This record gives sequence, C-alpha cells and structure tokens, in this order.
Amino acid sequence: MSRKPEDIVSAAVVKHGSGREAVIGILTDVNRELGYIPEEAIKAIAKAVDVSNAEIYSVISFYSFFSIEPRGRNIVRLCNTISCEMNGSSDILDAIEKELGIKAGETTADDRITLETTSCIGLCDESPAMLVNDTPHTRLTPEETRRILAGLE
Amino acid sequence: MSEKLILTAAEQPEAGAALKKSLEMTKADVVFEVRESNMRGRGGAGFPTGVKWNLAGAASGANKMVICNADEGEPGTFKDRLLLEKYASILLEGMTIGGYGIGSSQGIIYLRAEYPYLVPVLMKAREELVSRNLLGEGILGTDFNFDVEIRMGAGAYICGEETSLIESLEGKRGEPRNKPPYPVNSGYLDRPTVVNNVETFVSVPHIILNGFEWFQDLGIGNCTGTKLFSISGDVENPGVYEFQMGSTIGELLEAAGAKDVQAVQVGGASGTTIKADELDRKLSFEDLPPGGSVIVFNSSRNMMDVLENFLEFFVHESCGQCAPCREGNVRLLDTARAIRGGKIMSREELKPFFMLAEVMKLGSKCGLGQTSPNCFVDIITKFIDFPDGKGGM
Repeated sequence: MSRKPEDIVSAAVVKHGSGREAVIGILTDVNRELGYIPEEAIKAIAKAVDVSNAEIYSVISFYSFFSIEPRGRNIVRLCNTISCEMNGSSDILDAIEKELGIKAGETTADDRITLETTSCIGLCDESPAMLVNDTPHTRLTPEETRRILAGLE
Repeated sequence: MSEKLILTAAEQPEAGAALKKSLEMTKADVVFEVRESNMRGRGGAGFPTGVKWNLAGAASGANKMVICNADEGEPGTFKDRLLLEKYASILLEGMTIGGYGIGSSQGIIYLRAEYPYLVPVLMKAREELVSRNLLGEGILGTDFNFDVEIRMGAGAYICGEETSLIESLEGKRGEPRNKPPYPVNSGYLDRPTVVNNVETFVSVPHIILNGFEWFQDLGIGNCTGTKLFSISGDVENPGVYEFQMGSTIGELLEAAGAKDVQAVQVGGASGTTIKADELDRKLSFEDLPPGGSVIVFNSSRNMMDVLENFLEFFVHESCGQCAPCREGNVRLLDTARAIRGGKIMSREELKPFFMLAEVMKLGSKCGLGQTSPNCFVDIITKFIDFPDGKGGM
C-alpha cells in the first residue's frame, strides 16, 4: 500500500526542511516513491515552501528525471549520446522496443517498465550503457539487455 | 610531456596528512600555496583556483560555502566518476582544506542524478573521515569545523555551469545567472561561494603536501599539473588517462590505442573537432582546452552523424532561457539535416548559418550557447566538401 502524495511530501519536508532550497530534495523523494509527481504533491510542496503551484511545476519541467506522468515500476534510461551511439545503442534501443512493444518515452501496459533515452550518463568507456533505476548496466548486447529486462519485476 | 600518475597513482597520501599540514599553516598561506601552483579549474572553464579562493576568502559575508561540482555531463566525460568512486576521501579532504582556506564550515557535493550509485560511496567516505576527526566539529583538535552534505541533481546538463548549479541547489530551475555578481561574492543563498570541479579538489591535497613549485614543474608554462582525460570512441582501451598538461593529443591516443583516426573531439560536444593531421596539438589552455573528454572517430564514421548527434544533444539540453541558444541550436540542427538531405548544396547557402553560429557565440548568456556552435563550424569546415569548395567561410 503506497503512501498518499501529501504524506510523502510531509515526510520529505521533515527531512529536507521547508526552505526553497529543499525543493529538489522533496521532489526527488516524491518522484522516487511514486515514479512521478502528481498534482496533489505539487500543491502540497507549494504550500509547504510557500511558493505558487506554477513555480513548483516549472522546476519539475526543467529536469529530465522528474515526471508529471505516472511511470512504470522500473525506469530504463538508455544513453543515446555519441560514444554509446557509436557502440550500438540504437541496436539496443530497437531490441528493447521490440521486446517490450513500446517506444522510447512510453510505459508498458502492465506498468512494469518505462523506457527513456537519455543524454550522456558518463559510462562512455563501457558503452553502450543504460541505467535501470539506480543501477548502471554496461557493454550491453541485445541478448544481455533482454535478460536484464526479464529480471525486472 | 608524458603520462604521469598523481591523482590516480596506486600510492596515495595518507588520509588527513595534507589537512593536518594545512591546519598548521595560516589560511592565507594555504590559499597562497594553491594560487602559486597556478592550477586552473579542472571543470573546463580553467579559472585559476587559487584566485577564486582568494576572492571568496576576502569577500564579506557570513556562512561561506564550498561547493563541489560533481555534475560532469559533457558527452564523453567520465573522469569524475572514477575520482568519486575511488578517491572520495581525498576529494573530501580537498574540500575541507578549501573550507579552511576561505573560512567556511559548510560544503556541498552536487552529484549528478545519473550517478546515484555513488551516493553510498561518498557517504561511507564521509563517515570514515568524521570518525577519524578529519571532518566535522573541532577537526584534529583545532577549533575548525567543516562538514559536507551530498545533494543530488535531477538530470540537466546545464547544471554543470556553476551559477545554474547554484540555482538548482536553491531549489529552482537550473538557469544560469547574469554575472556579476560572481559566486565568490554572492553565490548559494547569496553567500560567498567557491564552486570547484571534483578533480580540482582532488588535486589540492597533493599541492599542499608537495608544494606549489612541485606542481609548477608538472605541465607546460602556465598550464601546470596533471590532467585526467576520459577517452572513448574508436580506441582499443577506452578509459581514464592521466597526463601532464601540454601533452599532445597524439600521445594520448597512442596510450589508448587508436589505430585508425579520422577525427578527434577534444573537450566534449562543446569542444573542438580536430583532424588526423592535427594530432601534435597540445592539451593546454593556450591550444586545445583540456576539458575531460576525448572521443575518437575512425575512418568508417560519418562526421555528419556525429554532428547531428551533438546538435540533438544541445537542442535537448539548452535551458531555453536565452534566444540565441534556444533557437540557434534548433536552426543549426535543421541546417545539418538540410545538408544531409541535399537541400543545402553550396557554401553560399551556408553563410547565414555561419553568421548564426557567431551570434550564438557572442550573444548567448552562458557557456552552453557560446560553445555549442563549435561542432557545427568545425565539422562543416573540416570535413564537408561542396561543389563550390570546402565547407565553411
């Protein structure tokens, strides 16, 4: 049973404080727990920090790790910058899209996986690479990638 | 010049030795040592670290801040990942010495969201130092207090720009500020703030222990010390290499095993694209600015693919605050695609876009828009032929 957005915000405010400088930390906590930042959370954060809802929304929209759309239980972020691209990241993307039946930016129907492409994640020496939630996976092959996806709950 | 392992040497100084030595010196002497080493910031912009510390130390204002920029996002850069993974303790020590030098008791590491797996490493290093009285209250029995907090980014290349990073830490969109005021006078929460790259802080304990003259002897001219380079692309052994400043790009490529070189991108997507006949150029602030990224392209690579990938990156990562960057990168990407599609077929038709590149370099508010046209100008000029001559003006 997941906590209500307002309760997650309250707990995050206890941890990070209610100053403006706490906003990224609070958003990160909500985004982590729910996979996205729902409207109720935006309103609760705005109230706690004493800024407008629009201010909070504008911060969310700036950062690629934050989402206002519900996402899957697992987030796959495949790097599409040059060194990964040169080592075959588009083949990996094809393999994931075929395996899951979704395109980059979409979520599987069972809410299991959201697929995103991302700018350089600093794993160029072991490319192609992706982050699955907090875990880096490197030197990907289509087979290895399918195996990693199959292991996600 | 040659390969020289200091920051990444197997033998590292004992934890706390440089800090202990610093605390026996005056604050002014610590800053003097760093200033006289002539070390320039390792994040890419190359501002002299000691000068920055001097300014922040002299600035009036309470609660001065020491911030470590661990938001490396330049395509092809992963040197700070290695330092954070393996040398976190010496990084924290460098920040602590900085804190003592400028009179600050508070440090923040701004860690990019793409490196969440490094948080436990940094937390553990911090706890160890606290338990050994090398961080926290009354460090080594003195009245100097300093502690470091780890704060996460949320996925934005621009937050590697120091004023964007500060905005982000303040809970805002990471949009660059107008300068002045500079962070040394008015940075995080308007406090005097030093922002330095991971590698810069990691270098500090070595400078303190060995002295500025030792550091000056490494490198070339005013470009002192060693520098880490992240090498990727078409090489046999991609990875992080440590070379003295002033080494040639050819020496680096030999170490990494580059057999077939058509082009090299030095300094990431925002850096310089060089051809195979420029490999004797030196990695120094006077010649090829030594960011951290070196990407090698062999003769099978289509440089227009490379250009398109870079420009897609900049279109995605422009913060959108100023028009030259927000609109300019989109137009340059359209232009690159038009060249590939045969819609632009002469140098004459390209002229307005080279002018646009100049406008972006001059008119953009921060380094992103000022440098993003480099790849367009370099690649078109050096690698593309048109019926009326080679590309470029």
